[in-house]
Amino acid sequence: MATVQYFVKRLFYIIIVFFFVSIIMFFIYKSVPGDPVRMMLGNNITNPQVYQQQYDSMRESLGLDKSLPIQYISWISKMLTGNFGFSIQYRQDVIRIVAAPLKNTVTLNLFSMFFVFLISIPLGILTGVKHNSVLDNTVQVGTIVGYSLPTFVIALLAIFLFAIVFPLFPISGVNTPGFTGTGMEKALDTLHHMFLPMLVMVLGGVGSVVRYVRAAMIDVLRMDYIRTARAKGLREQVVIYVHAFRNALIPIVTIMTGWLISVFGGSVVIESIFLWNGIGKMMIDALNQRDFSVVLTMQMFYVVLTLAGNVIMDIGYCMVDPRVKLTN
Amino acid sequence: MKKKLLSLFLASAMVISMAACGNNGVTTNNAPENTGADNEEVGDNSQETQEQEGTKPNAPSGQLVIGSTTDLKSDFLPGWSNDAQNQACYLLLFDQGYSTVQYTKEGEFVFNPTVVKSHEETENPDGSKTFTVTIQDGLTYNEGTPITAKDYVFQALLVSSPEMGAVDGFSSDGYIYVYEGYEEYNSGQTKNFKGVRLVDDMTYSVTVKADELPFHYDIYYAGLVPYPISVISPGCTVEDSEDGATITGEFTSDVLQETVNNPQTGYRYRPLVTAGPYQFESYDTTTKQGVLTVNPAFLGDYKGVKPLIEKIILKTVTSATSIDELRAGTVDLLSGVSGGTEINAGLDLVDEGIAQKAVYLRAGYGKIAFDCSVFPVDSVNVRQAISYIIDKDEFVRQYTGGYGKSVYSFYGLSQWEAIENADWIESELNHYDVDVEKAKSLLAEDGWTFNKDGEEYKDGDGTRYKRLEDGTLAPLTINWANTPNNPVSTLLSSVLPDAMTEIGMELNPTTIEFGVLTESIMHRTDVQYHMYNLATGFSSAHSPWYYFSMDDDRMGLYNQNWIKDEDLAKTSWAMKSIPYEDKEGWVEAWKEFIKTWNEKLPDIPLYSDQYHDFFTNKLKGYEPDGLWDWRYAIIDAYIQE
Repeated sequence: MATVQYFVKRLFYIIIVFFFVSIIMFFIYKSVPGDPVRMMLGNNITNPQVYQQQYDSMRESLGLDKSLPIQYISWISKMLTGNFGFSIQYRQDVIRIVAAPLKNTVTLNLFSMFFVFLISIPLGILTGVKHNSVLDNTVQVGTIVGYSLPTFVIALLAIFLFAIVFPLFPISGVNTPGFTGTGMEKALDTLHHMFLPMLVMVLGGVGSVVRYVRAAMIDVLRMDYIRTARAKGLREQVVIYVHAFRNALIPIVTIMTGWLISVFGGSVVIESIFLWNGIGKMMIDALNQRDFSVVLTMQMFYVVLTLAGNVIMDIGYCMVDPRVKLTN
Repeated sequence: MKKKLLSLFLASAMVISMAACGNNGVTTNNAPENTGADNEEVGDNSQETQEQEGTKPNAPSGQLVIGSTTDLKSDFLPGWSNDAQNQACYLLLFDQGYSTVQYTKEGEFVFNPTVVKSHEETENPDGSKTFTVTIQDGLTYNEGTPITAKDYVFQALLVSSPEMGAVDGFSSDGYIYVYEGYEEYNSGQTKNFKGVRLVDDMTYSVTVKADELPFHYDIYYAGLVPYPISVISPGCTVEDSEDGATITGEFTSDVLQETVNNPQTGYRYRPLVTAGPYQFESYDTTTKQGVLTVNPAFLGDYKGVKPLIEKIILKTVTSATSIDELRAGTVDLLSGVSGGTEINAGLDLVDEGIAQKAVYLRAGYGKIAFDCSVFPVDSVNVRQAISYIIDKDEFVRQYTGGYGKSVYSFYGLSQWEAIENADWIESELNHYDVDVEKAKSLLAEDGWTFNKDGEEYKDGDGTRYKRLEDGTLAPLTINWANTPNNPVSTLLSSVLPDAMTEIGMELNPTTIEFGVLTESIMHRTDVQYHMYNLATGFSSAHSPWYYFSMDDDRMGLYNQNWIKDEDLAKTSWAMKSIPYEDKEGWVEAWKEFIKTWNEKLPDIPLYSDQYHDFFTNKLKGYEPDGLWDWRYAIIDAYIQE
């Protein structure tokens, strides 16, 4: 019963926050200087009357001739029914244009996340167990370098090394230009193109996760119950993976949830350098073009994800630590 | 130790496995590294290829990947996108095909002899002008459907109709509004378009309104492009009456929303029936790459030339890695490369024999644009004084890396008028070479003769002041709006403040985003800036009278300088009425306008780039220039593997 109450309360909280944030976001973006309709029309029309007529007509059809509160009510009521508005940059419904970049971003992020955790959790455990060893120190230095180097520097270095000096991978894009082949061949071609952006994301991501896992492991390994487990004569692997790592999972769950949410958020830098047609690049282009329907849709999507992510995080805590209960 | 080895092995295995699963589909080469730079032909307006051209193939072959820093969007029908890549597709799918009037490499508009059997121009008693055009027999769309005059008339009726105007996102950017009866037809008052007539199956006529004439490029108004009525408006046809042509049948916005705007099948996204030199093959929303292939039914352009490159692929590149893409073979052509760093990297490829180049001058320039409606830059003396303190040649050298030239008036270096009158430009126009004393005397003449205490200004007094009519003293402060991450702003920031201080001028720079800058130019925010960083490009139908008109409704959008100068308006307006055939008269009027502009100086032209196209060695016969860029030049080119 307490759990049900908890979820009802959290749902209510999510709805309130959603509307509050939607109002703030809407008015902030609408107050950004710049006229989206002028950007949309360009200056190819040489007759001022015809231009003005098209300008007025476009403003009216986009609802920009209304007051801001009316625009907000129209926007939010449409959004709640699945109509996310019209992109002035692409001149299409937003729902149509975000699908492909979102898919590209999610694919890249899922692959990156898989390899980040595949590498960093074992490495974090290892360095936590062997802390202050040569391996630990080496990994610490390596992760600091990976963590602190700007992404664009790593990206350009990766291109230079793996696409120019050793031309193993393409410099940019999602597929080979004009690629024709079966679905499987196309998927492999995409993987080929994905390697370098993924490598950069993994190099940047491993650093922080390794350090998180390592720190959590060091803390847990100092606990009395670890000493007790060892004193009971349990094998070291059992002590580490069953007793220590499970207890070290709580901070890891926090960052994993954050990563899960960020799966839907693209990296502007990586997507721009590698021309990976993703949502990060689309968002920055939309902002520059004052394409607020796109920006607001994605922002609200992230708001929902973040709010839902907090609930998922709480559930995750319960799963890894039976002492944690979902109550009010 | 075992664990260390295991972790190392796992990391290596991941890298190797990813490499192994992705080794198909990319052309690479192991070319040596770039060496040195090459800057021998600064200011040369020439096209150059490294290798001897071989024999042209008899049939289209090969493919060309064209890289652009602009994304290609999913729009292939004019009216939805102003982006460069989409505009290129419009040309290749429509305008460069069976348009009745075409732009030539020589810089002229001509009736396209491949398409036009005969044409007639009639000047009507009311001052309007009717162009009657008969098209050739045997023209077809790419899938074999015959093209008749109905298809041409349909295009004019479609793009100006209220039904099309109601289709989501469509905006007509053509010149159909110059035809008689446009307003009535466009507003839905009439179903017939008075100025557009279907004379017979192979003949159409258009009547240009009297108040749009005389117009130097009036031949341009005679041109229409065929749109397939059976695809865009199935079941409809074009009929003619004394009131003009009309579309009959179920011609509604709902139908167009489906036939044009359906995301899966709409003509806007998949124009499968076209009459350009190329036809639509595919567009991938995941990669934003588009593929065009040769139109097998295309009879040729205005010269009768058919394209010989079978497939064109449009791909996005970044300026940071575009030359590397050319080296790697993932891109075959980079057009309009500018800036020393990129050009030098491209020239290295040329030196290494990996690529070829074509060099031409830009039809436009980078500039400081004044808002001439604002004190103190409403004074020509102040504008000239600023020009006299900027070393334009040095600016060109530094900004373009030596790959550029100075411009002295409102012209592009690749315009035929500028090419033919290069000597006159050199001798007759004021170059505004650096002359601090001249700048000071101009300011003194303009009344900037006081210091802040109202005493006579002497060198070293700081900012100059001018006594206004109401007796107050106004400082000589220039508010300069520039955009972020802009090398022109950076360079000017290092030059202007000291130079201005020397002549008693104070610079007040502000960095604002381009969208904000645009709003400011349009005077949609408080008018607070005196000058901006901008660039300008000239079109093939160069029409300066729009940009220096004194009409209030042209201010901002067209007359970005907000300059109301009678001499400038008069000299530019005089060009508008010169008949298209009267080249001599046009050049004389052009000279007068250029000279006037050079004196009034609404902008300070800072640099005009020397553009470089870098392209693969397999591309032959490719000869672009400033107004004949790759979109046109590609028709004459071919691939030799």
